[in-house]
Amino acid sequence: MRDSFAGLHPALTFSYFVCMIACSMLVMHPIAQAIALVGAFSYSVLVKGAKALKFSFIYLLPMLLIMAVMNPAFNHQGVTILFYLKSGNPVTLESILYGVAAAVMFITMILWFSCYNAVMTSDKFIYLFGKVIPALSLVLSMVLRFVPRYIEQIKAISHAQRCIGRDMTQGNLWSRAKNGINILSMMTTWALENGMETADSMKSRGYGLPGRTTFSIFRFDGRDGILLGIMGLLAAIMGAGIMSGTVSMRFFPSIKLAPVTVWSMAVYAAYALLCMLPVIINLQEAWKWKRIESKM
Amino acid sequence: MSIQSLNGQGKRRLLAAILILIVIPLTILAGVFYFDDRKYYFISMLIIVYTMLPFAMVFEQRGPRARELILIAVLAALAVAGRSAFYMLPQFKPVVAIVIIAGVCLGAEAGFLVGALAGFVSNFFFGQGPWTPWQMFCFGIIGFIAGLLFQKGKLSKTRLSLCLFGGLATFFIYGGIINLGSLFMFTAEFSWGALLATYISGFWFDMIHALSTVIFLFLIARPMIEKIERVKIKYGLIEPGDEK
Amino acid sequence: MEAYRVENVSFSYPLQERKALVGLDLAIRSGEFVTLCGQSGSGKSTLLRQFKTILTPHGKRDGMIYFQGEPLSSLEQRRQASEIGFVQQNPDNQLVTDKVWHELAFGLESLGCDQRTIRLRVAEMASFFGIQSWFHKRVAELSGGQKQLLNLAGVMAMQPSVLILDEPTSQLDPIAAQEFLDTLRRINRDLGTTIILSEHRLEEVLPLTERLIVMDQGRIIADAPPAQAGAALAEMNHPMFAAMPSAMQIARVVHPESGVVYPLTINEGRNWINKWMKDKAPAQLSDQSAVDASPVRSVVELRDVWFRYDKLAPDTIKDLSLTVKEGEWYCIVGGNGTGKTTALSLIGGTQLPYRGKVLVNGKDIQKQGLKERFHRNLGILPQNPQHLFLKKTVELDLLEMLADSELGKEERQHKVEDVILLAELESVRHMHPYDLSGGEQQRAALAKILLMEPRILLLDEPTKGLDAFFKVKLARLLSNLTRQGVTIVMVSHDIEFCARHADSCALFFDGSVVTTNRTRAFFAGNSFYTTAANRMARHFCPEAITTEDVARLCQSSH
Repeated sequence: MRDSFAGLHPALTFSYFVCMIACSMLVMHPIAQAIALVGAFSYSVLVKGAKALKFSFIYLLPMLLIMAVMNPAFNHQGVTILFYLKSGNPVTLESILYGVAAAVMFITMILWFSCYNAVMTSDKFIYLFGKVIPALSLVLSMVLRFVPRYIEQIKAISHAQRCIGRDMTQGNLWSRAKNGINILSMMTTWALENGMETADSMKSRGYGLPGRTTFSIFRFDGRDGILLGIMGLLAAIMGAGIMSGTVSMRFFPSIKLAPVTVWSMAVYAAYALLCMLPVIINLQEAWKWKRIESKM
Repeated sequence: MSIQSLNGQGKRRLLAAILILIVIPLTILAGVFYFDDRKYYFISMLIIVYTMLPFAMVFEQRGPRARELILIAVLAALAVAGRSAFYMLPQFKPVVAIVIIAGVCLGAEAGFLVGALAGFVSNFFFGQGPWTPWQMFCFGIIGFIAGLLFQKGKLSKTRLSLCLFGGLATFFIYGGIINLGSLFMFTAEFSWGALLATYISGFWFDMIHALSTVIFLFLIARPMIEKIERVKIKYGLIEPGDEK
Repeated sequence: MEAYRVENVSFSYPLQERKALVGLDLAIRSGEFVTLCGQSGSGKSTLLRQFKTILTPHGKRDGMIYFQGEPLSSLEQRRQASEIGFVQQNPDNQLVTDKVWHELAFGLESLGCDQRTIRLRVAEMASFFGIQSWFHKRVAELSGGQKQLLNLAGVMAMQPSVLILDEPTSQLDPIAAQEFLDTLRRINRDLGTTIILSEHRLEEVLPLTERLIVMDQGRIIADAPPAQAGAALAEMNHPMFAAMPSAMQIARVVHPESGVVYPLTINEGRNWINKWMKDKAPAQLSDQSAVDASPVRSVVELRDVWFRYDKLAPDTIKDLSLTVKEGEWYCIVGGNGTGKTTALSLIGGTQLPYRGKVLVNGKDIQKQGLKERFHRNLGILPQNPQHLFLKKTVELDLLEMLADSELGKEERQHKVEDVILLAELESVRHMHPYDLSGGEQQRAALAKILLMEPRILLLDEPTKGLDAFFKVKLARLLSNLTRQGVTIVMVSHDIEFCARHADSCALFFDGSVVTTNRTRAFFAGNSFYTTAANRMARHFCPEAITTEDVARLCQSSH
């Protein structure tokens, strides 16, 4: 489906993801973690559909379990001792819970990243950094153009090589490896020689003149402004919450949660809104379309 | 060496000094103060990002020429395309080999950029994640060290010395830093025991990776260096005074 | 007003005795459409690259070049970048960024235009070139023709007053090339942009050209409107005349006296022939390529072959059957995307049909092991010869090909010598394969394949980007091989080449062969898909398909 959050200005989407990934990295309080996990999971399902579900259950769930089990094996802190390992080291409740929390955090982060990968396409990234690091972002743009081209070329070369009996799929292991390396070597010559023509084309179109500007097809409109304001406010509340220790949690030596207060409720509410923002925007858009369609 | 890159080094030193003396301690302080249990991962990641900044800034400031950009882009793209060409063999990646060759042929700075770009771009294809800055840094720093050692005459373009360096660098620098990063990602408290356990569990992975770098360097270093040198001569990429 | 003035310009590459350009004098008016032609290595590209200082190769130059009255060497780079547009040969290599819109804006970004100006110019260019529908695409998704149009549009966005193009259509198929040339004409006519173009496809380009400049060994040997320039070449008896349009060549043979105004286009040619044949009875051409009655073994046979790339994809090859006899030169012609190249890879066994049989030498190709398949049997030349080059010189590259064989060192050297002689690579044997011209690369790649001693050669567009001379050399090499009993199956867009050299031709359409016949009968039977010479004279004699045929027809009619 069409993701309306992805249609926002890249500056907005980028800062959103930076903010969300940073938050999920910093906060270990179970309520906050649950909020972030739900937000990241529902958005990833929205963006990637069934694929996200499959990914979550096949890769992420087992990872969570393994991490939860692994942590107590190395970490023996905590006061609530459950039993002793053969090596004589204690297994504590705190370290198990810490393992679970760390795993949830990791999974949330991966989910946010998977949304990031779907939404922040390379041209958005290049646009954002084109002004700050123009030369590097141009190199980046070139690499992004070269890689698929080179993969095509590697296929074409290995096809040509197969026709003279030399290919990575032919012969014994040593000759296969040798043929693979030969293909890479041919690829190098091809890439370097043809790359020089690209350099000519750049120079011919004035690359290197002082005062280069950066063009983009993105525009920061009124809606972006309003959303940026909302996002900023919510993020500021969350930030204040982190700083004031409202959402913090201590695992060792004994578990201690920050108490639930009015202020902490406000922080959680803000965080929940922030995490669900892409989903909310999409729902609102869908609802608007329903209304427009019903009027037509 | 050209004056330009001398200037670049001076600037990089200044920036590095500022970072090391002011920004990094501030980050550590803030981390210890606010971020409780997550301090190790967060601080380490920020430091990794900081170390890459001077390279980016120096590169931007000196306004690189078109052919220089192309060479860096071509080598980084080759590393990424090569990685995906050998995707069926896990850990059998030519990235480090190509990055070392880039460092040796084009200098320390280009080596760093090729490495960092290759790390970054390959994750456009394989997925960005919390590991991205770590990979960028590891690949980059290996290219940088290769370039630096070559400049100082400690590393030569012979097969033996390249393979030796490649194997050691992959195992100790790449493996060493990446494992540390994943340890910070998963655990709260740093302990030597946990670190050792991480290294042990990653031993075979790192070993295969190092071995693959050695194999790649052994087979491809000579033709690739020859090819880069040829292009440098054919298209007049060597600045007067660059030769040594 | 003058766009360029070249005064006594000479140029030599470093470490080379021979001058690439020798004392050139030239003036190009603003708004002119100038075509530059000449053999590979005649100095065309070198001359074109003198017109923009940033692209000028290393070397020693004498003389002066003026751009709009000012010395080019003192012209500011910023002005040169925007006023002088340059388009190169390879569509892919010129694209810098990964998005179409970014590519259009690239030059304007370099010039430091602001956001509003860029947006306007990009919009204008996208509309002028009809790019709107693929404006947001990644460049990797475009076809070759689209890529080259994008390169042109990216240059035109900077609003140059002069456009220089170095063989821009050599990598395109005929339809994309025609579209590109039409766009050039529109630019010249509607925008008044001066165009300086170097080209091999003179048949299509000359009708657009106001002025043809012919170069040979770094000198200008003719500089006049196309018809006159052609006449001048004819008078000199210059080999470059062989590259002129068919109409001109026919008229020349029929009318060897000087002072004749030669026809240029097919239409002019037809009128010229009509006039000549008036009141004459068209002669019958004796068919020299009479079918050999002796039964010949068929070496390639496809029976009811079906193929698609993917389970869900549409069929690329549908119910294809064809037979190629031993020692035959068999050409497959047809439009883009009809499955010609796929058919070739089915014969080569690199693709697997899901129904039907592919027999090579009477045996299923899939049942032949690699050694059996590619040693003294099939040889496949890839479309891009660069895909075969590994070593730093041609000779080493050829020797490398024999590295796995059991031959002794001397035998190997001996075989390589033979093939170098056969492929006429003597003069370039110590050069790097990438430093060769297109035609030489083609022959070097072919030489590599020939070391495997193939009995059946599969060629995919071997004449792509070659000039008339290299085509002649290639044809000589290939017909030498057929005489030794080698079978050639070739896919091509180059109708003229096929008509001249092939024994049999097949027209491919929609995944299958529509018609196949001996070459002469094949083209005589087509009314649209045929050679230029045949189109001019087919109403007199449909069997006349080459310029020689038509000339013979004209001469023998009384």
